[in-house]
Amino acid sequence: MAAFELLGGGFSAAFQLWPFLTIVTGLLVGVVAGALPGISFVNAMAMALPFTYVMSPTQSMLFLGGIYVGGVFGGSISAIMINVPGTPASLPATWDGYAMTKRGEVKRALAIAVTASATGGLVSALVLAFLSAPFATFALKFSQPEFFAATVLGLVSVIAIAKDRPLVTLVSLVLGIVVGTVGVDPLYGQARFSFGIPEMESGIRFVVVMIGLFAIGEVVDLLATNRDLRPKTQGGRQIGAKLADILGVKGAILRGTGIGCLIGMIPGAGATPGAVIAYGVEKQVSTRGAEFGTGVEAGLAAPEAAKNATTGAAMVPLLTLGIPGSAATAIMLAAMMLHGVNPGPLLFIMDPSMVYTIFAAMIIANVLMIGAGLGVAQVFSTLMRTPPAILAAFIIVLSVIGAYGVRNNIFDVWVCLAFGVLGWGMKRIGFPSAPLVLGVILGPLAERYFLTSLANSQQDWTVFVTRPISGTILALAGVFVLWSLWPGIIGRLARRRERAA
Amino acid sequence: MAGTIRENQPAAEREARASGWRRFVPTLLPAGLLILALILPARMFSRGQSADVVGLGPAAWPGAMLLALAVLSAIWVARDLWALRRPGGQPLLTPVVEEGPYAMGKAVAGLVMIVVYGWLLSVIGFALASALFIAGWCVFGGVRNPLVLVPVTLIGTVALLWLFMGLALMPLPRGQGVFDGFSIWLLQTTGIY
Amino acid sequence: MTNRTPIAATSRPAAGRAAPDRPHPRSRAVPAASRAGLGVLAAAAVSLGMGAGTADAQDYPDRPIEMVVTFGPGGGADLMGRTMARLLEEPLGVSIPVSNVAGASGNAGLTRLRTNPADGYTIGTLISLTVASWASGLGDNAPEDFQVISVVQSSPSFLFVPANGPHQSAEALFEYAKSNPVTVATSGYGTQDDVTLKLLANAGITMENVPFQAPAERYASPIGGHTMAIYEEPGDVAQFIEAGQLVPVVVFSEERHPAFPDVPTSAELGIDISGLDNYRSVAVPAGVPEDRVAILEDAVAQAVSTEEWQEFCESTYTCIEPVTGEAAQAMVGDFRDLIAEQLSQ
Repeated sequence: MAAFELLGGGFSAAFQLWPFLTIVTGLLVGVVAGALPGISFVNAMAMALPFTYVMSPTQSMLFLGGIYVGGVFGGSISAIMINVPGTPASLPATWDGYAMTKRGEVKRALAIAVTASATGGLVSALVLAFLSAPFATFALKFSQPEFFAATVLGLVSVIAIAKDRPLVTLVSLVLGIVVGTVGVDPLYGQARFSFGIPEMESGIRFVVVMIGLFAIGEVVDLLATNRDLRPKTQGGRQIGAKLADILGVKGAILRGTGIGCLIGMIPGAGATPGAVIAYGVEKQVSTRGAEFGTGVEAGLAAPEAAKNATTGAAMVPLLTLGIPGSAATAIMLAAMMLHGVNPGPLLFIMDPSMVYTIFAAMIIANVLMIGAGLGVAQVFSTLMRTPPAILAAFIIVLSVIGAYGVRNNIFDVWVCLAFGVLGWGMKRIGFPSAPLVLGVILGPLAERYFLTSLANSQQDWTVFVTRPISGTILALAGVFVLWSLWPGIIGRLARRRERAA
Repeated sequence: MAGTIRENQPAAEREARASGWRRFVPTLLPAGLLILALILPARMFSRGQSADVVGLGPAAWPGAMLLALAVLSAIWVARDLWALRRPGGQPLLTPVVEEGPYAMGKAVAGLVMIVVYGWLLSVIGFALASALFIAGWCVFGGVRNPLVLVPVTLIGTVALLWLFMGLALMPLPRGQGVFDGFSIWLLQTTGIY
Repeated sequence: MTNRTPIAATSRPAAGRAAPDRPHPRSRAVPAASRAGLGVLAAAAVSLGMGAGTADAQDYPDRPIEMVVTFGPGGGADLMGRTMARLLEEPLGVSIPVSNVAGASGNAGLTRLRTNPADGYTIGTLISLTVASWASGLGDNAPEDFQVISVVQSSPSFLFVPANGPHQSAEALFEYAKSNPVTVATSGYGTQDDVTLKLLANAGITMENVPFQAPAERYASPIGGHTMAIYEEPGDVAQFIEAGQLVPVVVFSEERHPAFPDVPTSAELGIDISGLDNYRSVAVPAGVPEDRVAILEDAVAQAVSTEEWQEFCESTYTCIEPVTGEAAQAMVGDFRDLIAEQLSQ
């Protein structure tokens, strides 16, 4: 029960005026930054780092934690409203969320998304507060073969997501993996596909690819179609969300949350694979799986819950072991170390009040997020009333800033614009771009987990199946492929029989 | 790939007219990818590789992925050719159907503007390039009232500068030569530096 | 070990104390701007006419100096760059925003440093890992492209074993390695880590190099029992040493490390491996006017002498007497040649 007492102390510390304001400010900064096309929450956290110099260590964690929680959700606002994911983790929100917007249900989509995100985030914050010790022990059992297996599960989910053309999806995915191999390789320090251009050695970052493929293509279409961005209405009034809508997707939210909590602990993976796997699983589980992509509520809720459920889970290894698994938690580690605080087991013993204030803040932030998310979404929908040309111009400028901000490198801007042109072309010919982005994200992870696993087992290839956890995950991935392709195979056979008859 | 994105008629119309060699245009994409996947392995390194490597080496993973890409593209090409041997056959890739008219000329002009903007960034700096781009895009997109155009451009650019270079301390490009001097002057005048 | 006060305990009050009496980094820009005051337009006209970098040394610096950190947020180079930037603001009187330019083992950031005007308004971190990457042919940067202002941190590397592992001394580990495979977590092939393991192998102690690209995963692997040892400098795994999860067993240096007096050097065990210390320096592109280099060198010296820096370098086990001028420049060139020579063997 000591945890309850400590958490109580954490709550009373977090509800002081300044800490509370810090959480709220962080949350708002995160939601707005996440919602701006191009600016991802990792960007925003890196930009916020200098501000934490003048804060106390606890306060700086509240601020960054707020940005993290808010930013992971914020990306879905622009994904749902204008089909441009604000952060890579919001990619799945463009599939069913934007489809709902096109039907005039933008308010409903946003309400479902924010509730699902907050629920996922809240559960994972509770896991962080009460189960971080056992989770950390469990996480240490994971090594490179397990990470590789989990990445394979992510890649397999991408294929499962494909509606009717697995071959095209697969080509797009593999093309993305190839794009991800550009630059210095993870083990040998050799530059690949640099074609003698030094800048190419830095490689191609997935955020840059995503901004190019999604933001720029969408904006150019906006110009060419004279489309209006104003939220559509049905019969003069907008359709809002009812409590029944939320209750209707509670299964999807629960499954998404569970997946997010597990995936979040895997270093390197983070919110995007969590959301994609949750979408893939939900598509198989849901009775309306075949309709996914046309604006199904469960297809929006599951990945939304999963991506925010990774936030608390990702902080488990950071706070308990001092090991940051993702770019976002690495920035939090930097903030703590700049204050001379080393996270890890000692922190729980030496300064439990700080740790539990952070736990309390994560819980508070996720509750407040419902209000912050809907409020910012309201502001954004007001912004949609400005002429589309002005809006489009600023989306492009923000995209360029976002691409530049990833590594403060002008070359990344050019890569982003190149992918923008490519993405526009891909959209015109119907070649899917989402698998490509996911390939760029997951490919490099899969490569280094694969090669390090082999190096750690004297090049023994059986290590992936002989280790129990990794073997189980890989078997699961195999089942997943068969399960998702089965209806297609059956359908084709049936059609052939019909034609023959 | 350029060949497949050139066309400008609504998809329904195109489908009806898609006959003869034009039916094979969408197949050019997997064919191109196949060629790419076959050429690239030889161009992987622009420097000589040391002979003794531990383990699989840096070429193994991209090599395997390019092989996968080659095989998948080959299957795709084969499938398309098989389907297209009959007049009614459809290629795997079918262009999206737009809900309304699509002004292809405008789209291409927009893309050109975006690319020029990217190039100008490093030459004349973020502030000037962005102001020019915002103004240009608005004019092109139909916002021509100077009472709207001028404030949107100026206030927008300064707000972006203040937010990202001032508050977020991002070192956005300042341009070269005279433009660097101008950018520094602008940043000092606006109180950012 | 036992008589040392844990890091977190000593430095947190210090950080708290530092906050009120040290103005916000950003607020530095205000006096700088107001000092320019009425002369803003005139100064602008001058810089417009003649281009930046020709103003008198007395005016330097009169605008923010960019600190290019050549790695992403959260690593050793980032902590050094950010701490240094913060401490340089006072002696230089301008704000020093940090920009992380990660990529290609630090070469992307160095390219930015090199291609920015050599006017002293861009400084950057140059660390041994990047220098070693030149030896394996990465990037298009060379020692003569940069002028090293000062080498401010250096630390030898150790082999650490997990506290719950079977071999708690270097002798035991080395003996075991003679007949069994021993896995060591490192940062990659072709790095200092790799060179050290090769030198050990030459002496008859063969260990498996297991490269982990992500530092966090590298640290987790011995703690989780997935590798048997880790090659690292103590500052990067300080929290694990403090928590008793990792135990240092051998230092690759000529002398024992003052913070770990019980840990033998490799030479004491009969294998002399040294000169591969991890160092971090502050550098500018070659061609910055000498008077400006002098101003920067002076400022770095002041920054390094502050109590805050001393606390920082102690907590990361990297305190050294700063190396400047020709000696610093030579450290970079010699290190590249040394690694290249070892790798070609």
